[in-house]
Amino acid sequence: MEMLLMGACLSLFGLAVTCLAFGAATRTEEPSAVEARPAVAKAAVASPARFFVSPAIIPMAEHAQVPIEALLLQIESHVRLEQAAAESFLQTPTPALLHSKTISPLVN
Amino acid sequence: MTNGQPELLRGLPPDEADRVLSLGKRLNLTSGAELFHMGAPADSLYLVSQGRIKLTLPMQIRGNQQDVFVEERTPGETVGWSALIPPHQFTLTATAPLQTEVIAFSREALLAHCAAFPAIGYAISVNLAAVVGQRLQLFQAMWLREMERMVELRCA
Repeated sequence: MEMLLMGACLSLFGLAVTCLAFGAATRTEEPSAVEARPAVAKAAVASPARFFVSPAIIPMAEHAQVPIEALLLQIESHVRLEQAAAESFLQTPTPALLHSKTISPLVN
Repeated sequence: MTNGQPELLRGLPPDEADRVLSLGKRLNLTSGAELFHMGAPADSLYLVSQGRIKLTLPMQIRGNQQDVFVEERTPGETVGWSALIPPHQFTLTATAPLQTEVIAFSREALLAHCAAFPAIGYAISVNLAAVVGQRLQLFQAMWLREMERMVELRCA
């Protein structure tokens, strides 16, 4: 009887150790996943709300999921904005106009 | 055409500008039609008279080649100046995003007219240089802005 109880206790102890080891092993993966999320969140937060700008701003980190047609439209919009900025600079060549920030979602 | 003279004929008296325009042949392009392709021999210069011409370059995106928007030409503007500048090869692809009309000038006809009327040839050369120079300056500024962003990213 005592041997049976001891065997049962050892089995329970072994199971507990296994559970702890499993928990520890799975916990080591979680921090990286948790770290990845704030990066995306930061990217989303980094683009402040602006008037007359489409709210559907897609951060660079998520570009892999963007359909190619949408990406081509983003590139076209970016080129048009950059040309407008360059034209402003050529009309009044000042460092401020040359370095003016873009609202292009492709780089924000 | 827009109000005023096309950029290539700027400064020419109206009768001389009309004489140059009469050398051209009007081409109608349906939406999506290609005017010329990158790498093709550039034998004609074009003036946009109606609609728009979209200029693109091929870019590698996710392992595939895609035509990416570079510039757009509107009525009164010139497209395909490679026809007048060696090695006479188009360096961009031009398409009409909508129903468009262009006036095509063959290199031979334009150069022969310029040789016969040097004052017109001079005015066209100056206007062409302005078109090329303006594009160069524009892209210099755009290049610098992209470089600045790249350096910012590197140093971040």
